Amino acid sequence: MATTKEVLALAVEIADVMLRNGGEIYRIEDTVIHILKAYNAKSFDVYVLSNGIFASANEDQEDSCSMIRHVPLGSVNLAKVAYLNQLARDLCNHDCTIEEGWERVKTAKNLPGYSKWIEIFFCGLGSAGFAYLFGGGWLEFAFAFLIGMAEQVVLHALIKYKASRFLKNVFASMFVSALSILVLFTGLPLLQDKIVIGAIMPLVPGITFTTSIRDFHNGDYLSGTIHLIDALTTALCIAVGICLPLAIYSYMGGGALLP
Amino acid sequence: MMWLEFIIQFVIAMLATISFAVLFTAPKKEIIYCGLTGAVGWIVYYLLTNNGMHLVLASGIATFCLTVLGRCFAVVRKTPVTVYLLSGIFPLVPGAGIYYTAYYLFIGNTEMSGFKGLETLEVAGAMVFGIIFGFGIPQALFHKLSPKKITLNEES
Repeated sequence: MATTKEVLALAVEIADVMLRNGGEIYRIEDTVIHILKAYNAKSFDVYVLSNGIFASANEDQEDSCSMIRHVPLGSVNLAKVAYLNQLARDLCNHDCTIEEGWERVKTAKNLPGYSKWIEIFFCGLGSAGFAYLFGGGWLEFAFAFLIGMAEQVVLHALIKYKASRFLKNVFASMFVSALSILVLFTGLPLLQDKIVIGAIMPLVPGITFTTSIRDFHNGDYLSGTIHLIDALTTALCIAVGICLPLAIYSYMGGGALLP
Repeated sequence: MMWLEFIIQFVIAMLATISFAVLFTAPKKEIIYCGLTGAVGWIVYYLLTNNGMHLVLASGIATFCLTVLGRCFAVVRKTPVTVYLLSGIFPLVPGAGIYYTAYYLFIGNTEMSGFKGLETLEVAGAMVFGIIFGFGIPQALFHKLSPKKITLNEES
């Protein structure tokens, strides 16, 4: 039988990786509680915030232990969340020992993502799709595709040089907005706004917004607020990034782009 | 002609959602279901707005539909609902609203900017209620779809 410390350490490690990769608060608390229950921890408490985990087990007994983790807001990786969810389920059904559990957490951390080129292609396709859905034509589709691909290259570069979340969003939307003004000089009858809207979609804070609502829904008001503020600042950064190239364009004597 | 446009919208919404699922590294096996969730959400929105419904209410109803569909997939496929919901909701996120608000504010048209900004917030609010009502349906109903007994958090 595993000691309380081993079980709690594994449960908290799983929770840590899930939280880092975009799992929501309720699921993470639930996961830790289920694992502890499955290994007969008598009394325990788990408190998870959007960037911290606090857990203790068997506080009034010989083998009492507690753990605290600080988890910075990270990028989303749904495959890791799904993988760890499966691991937690296997642990609860005792289909998997603690040692195997640690192995699988290690696998989860190094789970291969999609290659850079695939990401670049799909960023283009996503941008193009949204340019079309929001009322653009096939011409806008084509240009949004190219701009979206360029955008992902810029995003990769910004991540590589460890730009902060603010800078990343401001620069990427600035880049998109500037490119969309440049393509107007081709003289084609383009709707500039549709191209920009399509191309900013990869930056739009849909994930943090949705997570925030679900946190509120589950009664985790503090985490919900943190995620909501994150979503609002991201939106603000995008808005600032869009406006700067427009300012330069109108300063240089360009006319209005929209009625 | 209307049907053709309908199918094109569906396919493109699906492709766009799949693209975002890839950007958020959704598991390979689930990508097609993420795409379906997003496409259904968008097509509900598209049909409702084209039949004259206000876009705020339409966003709410579409969000509700995709949340329920995401939960169905989550139970059947034994994967966290997060995977489907986070990618599927993207077509409804008011990215256009953010753009127009910023743009009109920039050119000094505060009236249009305020209008668009408020509309963006209203859409976001409608999506909040779409999600909350979607999760308000008891999990027991979804369990009926499940291939076998569930022990751990498929719920929410």
